[in-house]
Amino acid sequence: MVLCFILLLIPIAVSYYFKLQLIGPTLESAFRMAIQLALVGIFLTFVFDLNSTIINIVWVMVMVIVASHNVLKNAELKIQSLIAPLITSFALTNMGMLLYFNSFIIDLANVFDARYFIPIGGMVLGNSLRANIVGINDFCDQIQRNENRYLSKLSLGAEKHEALMPYMRKSLRNALKPTIANMATIGIVFLPGMMTGQILGGSSPLTAIEYQIAIMVAIYVTTVINVLMALIILMYRGFDEYGMFRKNMLKS
Amino acid sequence: MEIIRMEDVSVSVNDGLQDKLIFSGLDLSVSKGEKILIKGRSGIGKTTVFRLILGFTRPSSGRIYFQGKPADSELFWEIRKRATHISQDSDIGEGPVMTLFEEVFSYSANHGKFDHDALDTLLAEFSLEREVLNKKFENLSGGEKQRISIIISLMTKKDIFLLDEITSDLDAALKTNVVDYFMANPEWTVLAISHDPEWEREGVRIIDFEKIISNRKSGKKVD
Repeated sequence: MVLCFILLLIPIAVSYYFKLQLIGPTLESAFRMAIQLALVGIFLTFVFDLNSTIINIVWVMVMVIVASHNVLKNAELKIQSLIAPLITSFALTNMGMLLYFNSFIIDLANVFDARYFIPIGGMVLGNSLRANIVGINDFCDQIQRNENRYLSKLSLGAEKHEALMPYMRKSLRNALKPTIANMATIGIVFLPGMMTGQILGGSSPLTAIEYQIAIMVAIYVTTVINVLMALIILMYRGFDEYGMFRKNMLKS
Repeated sequence: MEIIRMEDVSVSVNDGLQDKLIFSGLDLSVSKGEKILIKGRSGIGKTTVFRLILGFTRPSSGRIYFQGKPADSELFWEIRKRATHISQDSDIGEGPVMTLFEEVFSYSANHGKFDHDALDTLLAEFSLEREVLNKKFENLSGGEKQRISIIISLMTKKDIFLLDEITSDLDAALKTNVVDYFMANPEWTVLAISHDPEWEREGVRIIDFEKIISNRKSGKKVD
């Protein structure tokens, strides 16, 4: 491990030579990463040993709450505006996917087994975060930039959901494109962390690939449902009874 | 029959720092089939009247009635099915014009209203070639956009037209054509904001906007 940290001397030297002022942030981030992962490692060892269904579900719920908070914070929306429906939607989608994945795809006897439930839950949730942020940001941005277009559609007889459909379509596409591109390049451009971990841990590459394919499909499907649900929530909660966008929901 | 009534309506907008008064004390009564031209300086809030009728702007005080009923959110959704707002910079979307027509006629309120013959007649009436339907709306000239917006609104068979400087980008002959068209139907209620003299004709009630607003409450000067 010490030899691993010695490698950090290279970015420190680069920062020093080019006066990037990144020595402090590099050391701080590396230190934080090490401490956080060490604590999570200790915590997960304890959770895995205990392997209690309740604690496993609670831990995944904590991840869902942190993820929902993170999405709203990064999408520049006031947290209290959408947090409750977003948590509900993320919890239902991710729990549903986890149960399906563990029961039918990897055929576990105990679908809440900590060794699968927590890491797979983390991967699925973590990988759909960016798409949710892109989707919500894009939708709010379009509505504000093209407000007259939206109002024109309302005055041509559109119901709210009819007028918003083109915006929703565009935001969904923009949110999902990176995940689709990621699926297409996987294995050639990069070997994903989970697969690399399994191979380093002694699994055969074929077993690792099987898991990776299954997890990529699960990530994509969860991302689609999560983004769709987030946009539907925004369509209902983000507009008043007159169909006007609630600008006070935005941070600035 | 009175179709729209506004009583002592004030509108303020929040510019992020404070509430700014647009106007106060607006009184307006519109009868079915009436043709009205609203005149006045730019920036005094004429377009806001149209936004009030459609529920896009909420009054800070005062009352709005539609066919005698106080307008609430439900009623505004009904008004939007009968009234249409066409403005000088109408923006109905992006992409081929025909695709935009298809989108508008896919709305539940417009199902079954698309009529190919009517479209051909209207294109000819407003001096547009059929090829315009294959062009992208965003690439059209200002005048073409205005005419496409007019045609699409007419085809949705509305009976209340809120026309905001819709003749500004048209040549003299077309201006006359458009005004003739909106004046011809006695069933249509037409409110037009325009600086074009073509709208000032017999049978049109001309309203000086500054005379129907006041600052009774605030005592401030309208800007």
